[in-house]
Amino acid sequence: MDNTMDIKLNSENNPMISLSFTWVAIFSDNTKIEQFENGIENKFQLVKDKFDKLAYFNLTDKKGHMFTIDLINGRIGYNYLLLPYLEKTNKQNVRLIFFRRHRVEIGTQDLKEKFHKITYHLGFQYLKDGKNQKIILQIDEQGNWVLGDN
Amino acid sequence: MSAVFHFCESNGVGESETQDISNINMGSNDSPNLNTTTYPITRGDASFEKYIRALFTGTWTDITNMKFWKSAGAYVTGESCKAAANAVYTQPSQTPNADSDVPTVEGSALAINSAEGENHIEYGASGVSGYSGYIRLQLQTTGSTPAGAVNQKQFVFQFDEV
Repeated sequence: MDNTMDIKLNSENNPMISLSFTWVAIFSDNTKIEQFENGIENKFQLVKDKFDKLAYFNLTDKKGHMFTIDLINGRIGYNYLLLPYLEKTNKQNVRLIFFRRHRVEIGTQDLKEKFHKITYHLGFQYLKDGKNQKIILQIDEQGNWVLGDN
Repeated sequence: MSAVFHFCESNGVGESETQDISNINMGSNDSPNLNTTTYPITRGDASFEKYIRALFTGTWTDITNMKFWKSAGAYVTGESCKAAANAVYTQPSQTPNADSDVPTVEGSALAINSAEGENHIEYGASGVSGYSGYIRLQLQTTGSTPAGAVNQKQFVFQFDEV
């Protein structure tokens, strides 16, 4: 008797297809949550539920790019090296910023391939002299990045 | 955390929806993916209104910051494109409406809500359909609009996902 199960993965039920980067959240209580564990996707809500204990947040792709947000010290790492551009002063109330920005274009003419651009926005916000500051990397799907602040 | 995006258009009195439309051609007929050669807009008239919206399937935690604007396509004389955000669906009409000009830069983009009127779409929340609100579009011309095809237009729907 054949007990195999035929599972047809497509863009609806295999979320890894559309993701260039995946995340790992590491908490101050020595626990971690990976976006994919045993083929099952954990929703980011699980990270949000433990935001106050979030210590490090890593974003990696299959090409070897790795971005790390150190929420304890307010640092950003790229491939195990700290980005040198950030001031090393103590930062208060450091909180993660992370989302994927989708830009979908459609026009008044048929597009053979609809333009759909995704950029990962990764960084942190913190308090400095009572004012909220943000430092954000914009990372494209090929791993190219730019650093911005405000 | 991987939402699948669909552009949808609704047509007709009973609201027939087409998912994954390939264009938003505007013309003298209430139908999706229409051929503008078959259904041209007579100079001085307007196109049928287009009711488009986003549908998110798959899984995600939250969809926020939904925006819509026109990113490319210069107008010819007397031509304009009107738009309204979070419109209520009614049978599309060819009568010129009084909507505002569609924004042409991200900074003044239309803010799009969920179909339920929230400014975000939370996955799995009670009563959440996964649809955005409707965007109503209409191309309007005047008697001074030159004969012939107008320039192609490009529109952007942007959103943030976690």
